[in-house]
Amino acid sequence: MSDGLAGALAPRPEPRWATPARGAALPLLLLAAWQAWATTQPDITRAPSPVQVAATFVRLTASGDLPVSLLQSLGRVLGGFAAALVLGIVLGIAMGTSRTVRAAVEPIVESFRPVAPMAVLPIAILWFGTGTPAALSIVGYAAFFPLLLNTVHGVSQVDRTLLQAARTMGVPRLRILRKVVLPASLPSILLGARLALGVAWTAIIAAELAVGAKSGGGGSGGIGAMMFVFYAYSIDLNGIVACMIVIGLVALAIDRLFRGLERRLTPWRH
Amino acid sequence: MTQSVAETSAARLAGTAETGEAVHAVAPVSLVGTLPVLGPTTARRVFRHPAVTSALSFACFILAWWAVAVWTASPIQLPSPPAVASALIDLAQDGELFDNVSVSFVRLLISMAAAALLALPLGFSMGLSERVNSYVDPLLEMLRPISGIAWIPLGLFIFGIGGTLPVFIMAYVAFFPMLLNTVAGVRGSDRKLVAAARTMGVSPLRIVRLVVLPGALPTIIVGVRIAFAGAWAAIIAAELIGSPSGLGFAIEWYRELLMSPNVFAYIIVVSAVGYTCDLLLQLLRRRLTPWASGAELA
Amino acid sequence: MEAPGTTDPKLRLKGVAKAFTAPRTLKRTLAVTGVDLAVEAGEFICIVGPSGCGKSTVMNMIAGLDMPSSGTIEINGVPVAGPGADRGVMFQDYALFPWLTVEENIGFGLRNGTPGNGLSRGEVEARVREHVELVQLAGSETKYPHQLSGGMRQRVALARLLANGPDVLLMDEPLGALDAQTRLILQTELLRIWGETAPQAARKTAVFITHDIEEAVFLADRVVVMSRHPGRVRAVIPVDLARPRDEHIRATPRFGQLSEEIWGLIRAEAYEAIA
Repeated sequence: MSDGLAGALAPRPEPRWATPARGAALPLLLLAAWQAWATTQPDITRAPSPVQVAATFVRLTASGDLPVSLLQSLGRVLGGFAAALVLGIVLGIAMGTSRTVRAAVEPIVESFRPVAPMAVLPIAILWFGTGTPAALSIVGYAAFFPLLLNTVHGVSQVDRTLLQAARTMGVPRLRILRKVVLPASLPSILLGARLALGVAWTAIIAAELAVGAKSGGGGSGGIGAMMFVFYAYSIDLNGIVACMIVIGLVALAIDRLFRGLERRLTPWRH
Repeated sequence: MTQSVAETSAARLAGTAETGEAVHAVAPVSLVGTLPVLGPTTARRVFRHPAVTSALSFACFILAWWAVAVWTASPIQLPSPPAVASALIDLAQDGELFDNVSVSFVRLLISMAAAALLALPLGFSMGLSERVNSYVDPLLEMLRPISGIAWIPLGLFIFGIGGTLPVFIMAYVAFFPMLLNTVAGVRGSDRKLVAAARTMGVSPLRIVRLVVLPGALPTIIVGVRIAFAGAWAAIIAAELIGSPSGLGFAIEWYRELLMSPNVFAYIIVVSAVGYTCDLLLQLLRRRLTPWASGAELA
Repeated sequence: MEAPGTTDPKLRLKGVAKAFTAPRTLKRTLAVTGVDLAVEAGEFICIVGPSGCGKSTVMNMIAGLDMPSSGTIEINGVPVAGPGADRGVMFQDYALFPWLTVEENIGFGLRNGTPGNGLSRGEVEARVREHVELVQLAGSETKYPHQLSGGMRQRVALARLLANGPDVLLMDEPLGALDAQTRLILQTELLRIWGETAPQAARKTAVFITHDIEEAVFLADRVVVMSRHPGRVRAVIPVDLARPRDEHIRATPRFGQLSEEIWGLIRAEAYEAIA
C-alpha cells in the first residue's frame, strides 16, 4: 500500500532513488539561477551571489566575528529561556491543577499573548536601556507563553483514571503530582520547550535588529546587530545572507536537538 | 469562555511552532477545567466561579499596576492606568489610532490573502501528489527555519522602507503554517471516506472537492489561525524597523518621544485587535465546519 | 459448492490471492491465497475467521478497491476492474461523511456518483426520502453523524448503501462497533431490509464479514470460514435454518450445533491469534 492520498486514488510504483533526486533539483536550480543572475549584475550593485556568500561566511568565521556574535545571541537566548522555563512550568502546573489559580491568571495571560515580544521591546528599552537586560527580558517574555500554555495543557489533559488508580493505591497527593502528573504531561512540556526556544531565537534576532536600528548602531552585539551593521553601514549583502543562513541553521539545530531530547525523555511515546 | 480561551491558547502555542506536528498540539482541545490533584478547600469554594475570579484578578492586576506606578513615581517608565486610558481616548478621538490600526490591518489582510493564494493550491498539490511533494518539500524545509524577522535587513534592501516590507514579511511568516496544515489536512483525509466515494462511482476530481476538501478544512482553518498569530507578531517587528506607518511604527515613535502613555495605549490596542481577530477566526471556523466540534479538530 | 446450472453465478472468485509489499523492507507477505467461491444471486454469505485471516482484504478486492495479485473476481461473469456502483460497500466504521447531514449522506452517491446517472432531480429526492423512511430515520435528516447514536449511524450507512441500488451488498463488520443488545435488534432489521420475506430472486446478493459466529449463523445462507497465515477458505458451512428467521431461532438445537461446528473450525487459530 503506497503512501499519500494519490496512492489511494491511483496506485503507482516508484524507484527508490527518485525522491532524493527530485528534492535536490529545485534548490540546485535556484542556486544556479541566483549565481548566474549575480554575475550579470555590475559590481556597484553589490548583488550577493552564492559563491560570495560562502566566501563571506568563511571570512567571518575565520575572523571570529560571526562565532562571537552567535555565542552572544545564543547566551541571551539561553538566559531568557531558563528564566521562562522555571516560571512557565511552575505557574503552568499551578494553573493546571488549581481551578482558582487558573481562573485568576488566565485572563491576564490571554491579554498579553497577542502582544508580540517586539511590541514590548520599547518598554524593555525604557526600563532597561539597550543592553543585555532588555534582550533577556524580551527573550524571556517570548519563551514564557509556549512554555506556560503547553504545561497547562499537558497537566489538565492527564488521564483522570490514572489519578484515580494512584489514589486507590494510597499514593499521597504530592507524590501523585511528581510520579503521575509530571510524567504524563512531560510530552506537552517538552513540546512547549521546543516551541519556546524557537520563538526565543526569533525574538533575539528581532530585538538585536531593532536595538541596532533604533540606537544608531551602538547596539550591544549579537548576530541580529551584526546583520544591521551589514545593512546600515558596510552595505554587505553577502554578509546579510550568510547571517540568515546561520540563523536558519541554528533554528534547525534547536528543533532537531529538542526532538531528540523528546525521544530520549519520553520513550513510551515512540 | 473557558473553552474559547483554551482553543485560542492551543492554536497560538502551536502557531509559534509553524510545524505540521503542531496540529497535534491543537487537536485535543478538551481543556475542561483542571486536574483535581489538590482537593478543594472551603476557602477556594468562595472564589469558585471562574467569572468572579477572572474579574477579581483583572481588577487586582490593574490596581497593582497603579500602585507600582504611584510608588515608582516615574511616569516615563511606568505611566499610571488613568494616564494610559486618557492617552487611549485622545488617540482615538483625533483619529490617529484608527489610521494606524487600519494601515496595519490592511497590510495584514493583503499578506494573509497573498499567503493563502500561494499556500492553498501548493498545499493541495503537495498533499495529493507524492511527486510534487518530493520536488518542493526539501526547498521549503530549507527556507522554513529562517524566520521572517531574519529577512528584514535583506528586505529593506529589496523593498526599501515602506509598506511593502511588512507585507512581504507577514506573507512569508503566514505562508508556512498555512501550507503545512493544508498538506497535513489533505494527507490526513480519511481513506475510508475516499474509498466509500470510489465505491459509489464518484470521479477523482469530485472526490477532491467533495471528500478531501471538507475533510481537510478544519486543519486548514487551524493553519490560518496559526498564520494569523505569527503574522500579527511579525508585523510589529517589521513596522518598527522598516515602515513609516502602522502600529509597530507608532509604538516606537512614541517611545522615542518618551510619551509612554501613548506607547502603552498602542500596546493595549495591539492586544485587543489580535484577540478580536482570533475570536473572529474561531467564529469563522464554527460557521465553516459546523460538523466539527472544537474537540474533534483533526 | 460450485453452483449447478449453465449461467454464471452472481459473484465468483477464482484462485484469488493477494500479496502486500512492506514499504520499507520490500518484503512481500501473502495476505490471502487460493480463495475460490461462487455466490448465487440473492444469497446471503457470511465470512468469519480469526483476526488477520484476510476477510477485509477479500472484501476490498470484491469492491474493486484492491486488485488481486493473482486469480480473478467476476460479477455476472465480467471481471472486476475497479470500484463500481453495482457493488455497494458498507464500511466497518460506516465511513459517513462527517460534514454531511443524514439526508446528504444517504444521497451522496445518487447526487455525485454513477448511481444517480439518468435520474431526474425529483427521482433522486424521492429515492433518498424512501430510504430515510426505510431505515426509520425520518425526523433526523438534518442531523450530523456526530449527533447520532451508534445504531442510528449504522442505519444511515445501510440506507446509503441501499439508496445507491447496488446488486451486491458488501458489508465489513457493519455491526462490530455496536453494543450487544443493539446488535441483536439490528441483525433482525438487516434481514428484513435485505428482503428475507421476499422470494430469493427479489433479494440482493450479500457478502457480510463478521467475527461473531452466532451473528453469521443467524444471518447467512452459507458461512465461509477462513483461516490465517495465509488467509484461505477453510470450509463453507450451509446454514439450513428456515427463513424468515426471528430471535427465537437462537434457542433451537440446530443453531447451537452450527455455531459449535464453526467455532470448532476456528478455535485453535483464534487462540493462536491472541497468544
